[in-house]
Amino acid sequence: MTEKRPKVLVVDDAATVRLYHTTLLTGAGFEVSEAANGLEAVEAALNTAFDLFVIDVNMPKMNGYTCVETLRSATVGTPAPIVMISTEDSRGDADRAYAAGANLYLVKPVDKDRLARVARMLTAGVAA
Amino acid sequence: MNPLLAQFLAEAADLLTQVDEGLLQLERDPGDPELVNEVFRAAHTFKGSSGLFDFPELTRLTHAAEDLLDAVRGGRLALDSGMTDDLLAAFDLIRGWLAHVTAHEQLPASAGADAAGLITKLRAPLGGEPAAAADATPARSGASTIDAAPDWLDQFDAEWLEETASWLVTTSATMRFVRYTPDEGCFFRAEDPLHLISQVPALAKLGLVQPAAWPPPADFDEYQCLIGFVLATRAAVGELNYLFRYVPDQIETVELDGTAIRRHLAGEAPATPVEEQMAHVAEAVAGNLELARDAYDILAAAQRSLNVDTPSGPRLAAVAHSVSAAAAALGMPVEAGEPDLESLTARVSTLLDSAPPPPEEPVAPPPPPPMAAADRGRADDPGGQVGTRILKVDQEKVDHLMELVGELNVAKNGLTFLADAAEEEFGSRVLGRRIKDQYSGLHRIAEELQAAVMDVRMLPLSVAFSRFPRLIRDLSRRLGKSVELVTEGEDTMADKDVIEALGDPLVHLVRNSLDHGIEASPADRVAAGKPAAATVTLTAVADGDAVIVEIADDGRGIDPDKVKRKAYEKGLISEEELEAMGDTDAVDLVFRPGFSTADQVSDLSGRGVGMDAVRASVEKLGGTVTMRSQLGRGTSTRLRLPLSMAVTQVMVISVAGQRFGIPVDLVVETVRVHAAEIGRVLHQEVVVLRDEVVPVVDLARALDMPWTPDPAADRAILIVSLHGQRVGLLVEQFHREVDVILKPMEGLLAYADEFSGTALLGDGLVLLVLNMKEVLNLAARAQ
Repeated sequence: MTEKRPKVLVVDDAATVRLYHTTLLTGAGFEVSEAANGLEAVEAALNTAFDLFVIDVNMPKMNGYTCVETLRSATVGTPAPIVMISTEDSRGDADRAYAAGANLYLVKPVDKDRLARVARMLTAGVAA
Repeated sequence: MNPLLAQFLAEAADLLTQVDEGLLQLERDPGDPELVNEVFRAAHTFKGSSGLFDFPELTRLTHAAEDLLDAVRGGRLALDSGMTDDLLAAFDLIRGWLAHVTAHEQLPASAGADAAGLITKLRAPLGGEPAAAADATPARSGASTIDAAPDWLDQFDAEWLEETASWLVTTSATMRFVRYTPDEGCFFRAEDPLHLISQVPALAKLGLVQPAAWPPPADFDEYQCLIGFVLATRAAVGELNYLFRYVPDQIETVELDGTAIRRHLAGEAPATPVEEQMAHVAEAVAGNLELARDAYDILAAAQRSLNVDTPSGPRLAAVAHSVSAAAAALGMPVEAGEPDLESLTARVSTLLDSAPPPPEEPVAPPPPPPMAAADRGRADDPGGQVGTRILKVDQEKVDHLMELVGELNVAKNGLTFLADAAEEEFGSRVLGRRIKDQYSGLHRIAEELQAAVMDVRMLPLSVAFSRFPRLIRDLSRRLGKSVELVTEGEDTMADKDVIEALGDPLVHLVRNSLDHGIEASPADRVAAGKPAAATVTLTAVADGDAVIVEIADDGRGIDPDKVKRKAYEKGLISEEELEAMGDTDAVDLVFRPGFSTADQVSDLSGRGVGMDAVRASVEKLGGTVTMRSQLGRGTSTRLRLPLSMAVTQVMVISVAGQRFGIPVDLVVETVRVHAAEIGRVLHQEVVVLRDEVVPVVDLARALDMPWTPDPAADRAILIVSLHGQRVGLLVEQFHREVDVILKPMEGLLAYADEFSGTALLGDGLVLLVLNMKEVLNLAARAQ
C-alpha cells in the first residue's frame, strides 16, 4: 500500500527540537525533512515542493521571518501553509510573522497533539 | 535513555561550551554586538530545548540568564565582570545538573535550592525578579492540569499511594500514572510490552494487572497477551508519549497531584473538571473541542494576516488555503478556487462569526486522544530518524572493537610463524610462500580496519584545550596578572585516550606558567620592556605518528644558575655536577623528583604534583617532555605524544636467549661494532659513533641475566634516545619490529617497574616490553 504522505519541512537550529518535531510529525503520518536554519530551508524548498512548513523564529544565518519572506517571494513562491514557532508570546511578533507570510503563530513549548492536529488540518487535502 | 533526552544532552554540551567561550571573549571585547548575539542565541536555543522536558528549575535558571543576556544585547545593561561571574556560575551549575540527568534522568533534588540564589543574582541588575515573570516559565511547563483519578488507581498499593500523596502535597508536584493494556495479539505485531515498560524513565512504581480469571490450563494460549501494567512516573508527558508512540491506543495517562490521589483514596467522586463539562458542550456543537479551537486560531491568524498587510501571490494563496482547511475542519467547507482579497476577507469574517471562539487557553487538553495516524506510523515510520546522519556510539563499543582489532593483529601475525614453520619444519617452500601471500592480503585489510577504528576514536585537541580559557581567566584574576591565551592547531586530531590523559599534565603546566613563569605584576613586565599582558600559547601540531603539544609563555624564564643552586641545596646534584652542568641540563633539573622552584609552596601549583609527575604521566602514555627556557624571554614545554595509545610499535631484541620489546619511538639506530671498539671511560663502557661518545649499557647485566658474549663476534648495540641523551644497549641480537597491544603488568608484577607491560606475539610467545628509564636506573645501580 503506497499512499501519498504530505511533505513537511521542519526548520529549527536546535537539534533536540528538530528531533521532537520530526518524531511527532512522522508519527502523525508526515514525510518529514529537516533544515537547521533559514538558508537551508530555502534551499530545500527550491528542490522539493513541501505541503507544510514548521519554522522556528530565532535562528542563526537567516532568521525565521526572513526565511518565511523568502519562501513567499518570487524566488521560491510556495503557497503552502507555514506555521511559525517562537518562544516570544507577543502580539507584535505574531503580526511580524503574519506580515512575512506565515499562516499560524504558535508559542513554545507547543503541545504535541496540537501541532499534529494543526499540521493535519492544514494539509487535509494532500493526505486524502 | 530515550533518544530525545540523549539528543538534548549532546546538544546541550555544545551550547554550554559556546556560551562559556562567548562569555570569556566578551569580557575581553565587551563592545562586540555579534558576540553578545551569539551567546544570547546559544542560551536561547538551550532554553528552548530544555522546555521539552520536565525540568522546571533548569528552564527557570536559563530563563533568568537569558533575560540578563537579552538586556545586554539590547544595550540596556553593560556586562561587567560580576555579571559574567554569575552567568558562568549559572552555566556551571547547569552543567552539573546535566551530568546528574545523564546518570539519573532527573535533576538533583537540591536543584531548586541551588538555583534560587543565582536567579536572584542574575535578576538583580534587571531590577529584581518581576513577580509575573518569575512564575511564568515554570508555570507553563507545569501548567498540565490535574486529571480525575481513574478507578484503576486501585491497582496500586494503597499505602504507597498514601505516602506518595503526602509527598506530592508537600512539594506541590504531580505524578503521571499510566495504564498500559497491550492488545491480546500484540506479540504478532512484534510489540514487546515488557521492553517498553523497562524503558519508562523516572519510574516510581510498577504494578501488574492480571485478568480477573485466568483461562483453564487446557485453553491457555501462550501467544496471547493477557496481562497489563500500571505504573507511576515523574517523566514528562512528552517523554511518555514519545515512548509509547506506537501503541497510543493501548495507553491511558493521567496526571494527578496529592489532593486528587487522597480524594480517590477516601472514595470521593472526583470533582468533574470544568474543562470536561465544557468539552461535552463543545463536542455537541463542533464535534471536537480541540479541532474547533485550532480551526478558530487558524481563521483568526488569517484575518490578522489580511489586516497587517495586503497579501498577494503565494502569500494570498497560502492564506486562502489555510482558510479552506479550517473551514473544512469546522464542517463548513467553502468552494475551492483562488478567491480575491476582498471575497477572502469577507469569507473569513463570516466563518469567524458563525464559529464562536471556543473557550480560551485554560482549557487543557484531556488525556491525549489517540492520534489517528499513529497506527500508520507503526508500519512505515522510519523511527523518527529523518535527517539524522550522525550515529552516536557508546565508547565501550568502540573500545571493544579496538580490542578485537588487536586480537586480529595477533592472530594475523601468527601466519608468518606458520609460513616459517611450513618452510623449515615441513620443507614446503611453496606452501610457505602461499601462506605469506595470504598473510599480506590479510595484513592490508587488518591495517585498514585498524585505521578505520582508530579514526572513529579520534578527537580534536580542542577538546583538551577548551577548559583553558576559563582556567586562565580565573587564575590570572586570582594572581593579579594579565594573561592572554592563544591557541593554535586545535583541529589536530589524536586518539581519545591520549586527549583524555593529556588533560591533567596540561593543566599543571599551564598553572606553572601562570604561577611561576609570568612576572609577578604587569608593572614588572613593563619594566622589563614587555607588553603588560603576558601571553600563554598552546599549540598542537601533528608530526607523523605523534602529536606535539607545546605550552609557551613569554614570562621571566628559568634561571639555570638558580635552578642548579637549588638542586645542589636539596642534594639532588653533587658539587662536581654543579660545576660542570650546562644550561640545558640545568633546566632539565626541574623534572627531578623533589624539585620545586617556588620558594613557597603556592596555592596554585603546589598541590603535591611537580614537574616530575608531569614527566612520569606523559612517559606513561609513551610520550616525552622537554623544556626550553631563555632567561627573561620565557619558557616553553613541549609534549610529544603518540597519536594513539592503542597500538604500540616495539622493536624485538634478545638478550641471553630471552626476547624483549623496546618502544620503537626511543630507538635511534642499530649498530654492530667490533668488540675492540668498545672502550671504557672511568667505570663506564662507551663507544664512539660519528665522533660522539655514547655510553654503553650491558642489558643482560642490568636485567641480572647471565650471558657471556662470544669474544670474537661483533657486538650488537641498539642506540636509544632518552630525554635527549643517547645510550647504547648491548644486546645479543636484533629482531623485527612488531605492532602490539600493550597490556600493563597486573597484581604483584605491577611492582616490576623495569617492564612497562606485556604483549602477545603471533606465535603465542609473551613479550615483555622494557621501561627504558627504569632499566637504565637499574644499570646505574648495578655498576
